[in-house]
Amino acid sequence: MKEKVLSIPTPFGAPLDFYKNTWGKSGDTLSIVSGLQGDHLNGMYLNSRLSQFLDSVVEGIDPNYTLKGRVVSFPVANLNAIQSGSKLWPYDGLDMDLAFPGNPQGETTEALASAIYTHTADSYWGCILQSAPPHYEDAPHIQTLKVDGRIKKLCRDLQIETARKLNEPTKVNLLHHWHVRDIVAVTLSAGSPRTLNRPQCETLFQGIVNFMVAEKILKDKRKLKPEENTKPQFYETNDEVAVLASTAGMFLKEMKVGTSVQKGQQLGEIRDIYSGKRLEEITAPEDGFLITLRQYPIVYEKEPIATILTPKKSWREFLPWS
Amino acid sequence: MQSQSIFSIQTPVGPPVEIIRHTFASQSLQPSKRVSLVTGLHGDELEGLYICHRLTQILKTLEEQDASAFKGEINIYPAVNPQALETGTRLWPFFSNDINRTFGRTEPPSLPGEMSSTLLEDLKANSDLVVDIHSSNLHLMELPQIRIIKKFEKKLVPLAKLCNVDLIWVHPHADIFESTLGYNLNQAQIPTLVIETGICLRINKNHCAQIVLGILNLLRKTGVLDTDEPQVAIPEPKLLQPESVTMIQAGNAGLFIKQAEVGQTVSEGEKIGDLIDPVQGQVLEEVRSPCSGLLFTLREHPLTLKGAPLARIATEGSA
Repeated sequence: MKEKVLSIPTPFGAPLDFYKNTWGKSGDTLSIVSGLQGDHLNGMYLNSRLSQFLDSVVEGIDPNYTLKGRVVSFPVANLNAIQSGSKLWPYDGLDMDLAFPGNPQGETTEALASAIYTHTADSYWGCILQSAPPHYEDAPHIQTLKVDGRIKKLCRDLQIETARKLNEPTKVNLLHHWHVRDIVAVTLSAGSPRTLNRPQCETLFQGIVNFMVAEKILKDKRKLKPEENTKPQFYETNDEVAVLASTAGMFLKEMKVGTSVQKGQQLGEIRDIYSGKRLEEITAPEDGFLITLRQYPIVYEKEPIATILTPKKSWREFLPWS
Repeated sequence: MQSQSIFSIQTPVGPPVEIIRHTFASQSLQPSKRVSLVTGLHGDELEGLYICHRLTQILKTLEEQDASAFKGEINIYPAVNPQALETGTRLWPFFSNDINRTFGRTEPPSLPGEMSSTLLEDLKANSDLVVDIHSSNLHLMELPQIRIIKKFEKKLVPLAKLCNVDLIWVHPHADIFESTLGYNLNQAQIPTLVIETGICLRINKNHCAQIVLGILNLLRKTGVLDTDEPQVAIPEPKLLQPESVTMIQAGNAGLFIKQAEVGQTVSEGEKIGDLIDPVQGQVLEEVRSPCSGLLFTLREHPLTLKGAPLARIATEGSA
């Protein structure tokens, strides 16, 4: 059900109406938020895909599932930035994910942030859908601020292969405030800003459906034999290796995100734009999983080109009989 | 004056991006404090650059004529976000992130993060006292003021009083401050004053002259400069605690047509402006002061959304 949660007057026309979707009336709530950055299209597409799916479940059109729990979604959080086709709304230049918990009496972005926070504050689970930072592409993965039993279960239920623990970047973003309220919350990241990658969205869509079935928000009416669960690999912050450019120019990539790389393997090269000459070969400094790669070719010196996740060896692997 | 590049990176097709530090070295065998001035964290805030220009001019001349006046060290970082300054935009356009929200943060790795980290470490290594000069954003005009987070009040207020600002505003802590330069330096036990004045993309020469005088006074009173110039009397600024600041916010969206000027003393009920509906030809709100006091912030950008700040008043009776 699409429901208006806020209406903000605008200087020149009709008010700006802000909506949330809700399915189900009882049970623990899963909240899904996308579009905190106006150019993160994968999250918005994925959220609309989930809306279509949940509508069909509730209307009885989908033959396989029935809804048992409650789901709330905010598909377009930063309305004005989305309408402007930019990460931030040019009028205030405010990063919405630095505006939480928001202020109901404040300006538009703060008021929207407050509405999202208020309407999701009683959730049991929370999920933020986003893309990589500007100029980068992420392989589909889970990001979390902590790794406890409940988060591990959430990640297992999502059946997405890669989970990264992030250092707490700031106390003013939505994920932090959900954690403060003891909501079991993660961010799902895939792709790059300003682009839509439907296969990546499909991976995350399937993950969220898996999660809803595992947590009994959805009931799968089919008597399917449970498939073997994908166990996520958890990476700590010190498992991450940033690969930096030591020259400036045009980066031409040779790899795709979401692939394994070996130490010394070429990730791409940087060329001088005037001469076309190769200035630098960018190689993987360690074996690992390529989680993030430069997508926008123009690079400055010292910019990160890639992030590789390098699982630390278990102590068992050092035993003499291993 | 010695100049040093503390950060330099190659750019894809243009000259390198550099952060420069100018140093006026102490000529004393027992140097007193090291004071650093920082401007240009936001590329559209130009008044700090003009203040640094005036101070550099004065200090260079003094150095030529009486180098022994420099009992302590003065460092000036006049343009710390060069690419944003060159485009006249608040943010470094290539990255679209606010440098003054990256201090003390290590993730995600980024060039602006690398830059802010280098600047922070350089300031820590070369300063006993820092002054970080800002203008307001595009929307609000501010009287020259120093803003201090409550927990740093005791250490900073006596220093702020030397700077010839109109007011010192002690305000509560908010989480968003934790990634700013000022907060991180103060946390590192380096007293840092954050000056806020005027409006971005403009230079108010009177306000700038007032602050130049204040910083020269600060340098003399802290023993960094010792000249035989007669001391200029610096008026005591208003000291505002959070409860002595009244903010007026827009209750509607429209165009704000101001009818007052920043720096004016207003009475309770006095008209500050109108909020109009430009399409329907209606006055949506007559904006009046809810109290008597000094109007120290006033909306300059007419385009106004509901909830936007229109004015701040230092209520009468505040020190």
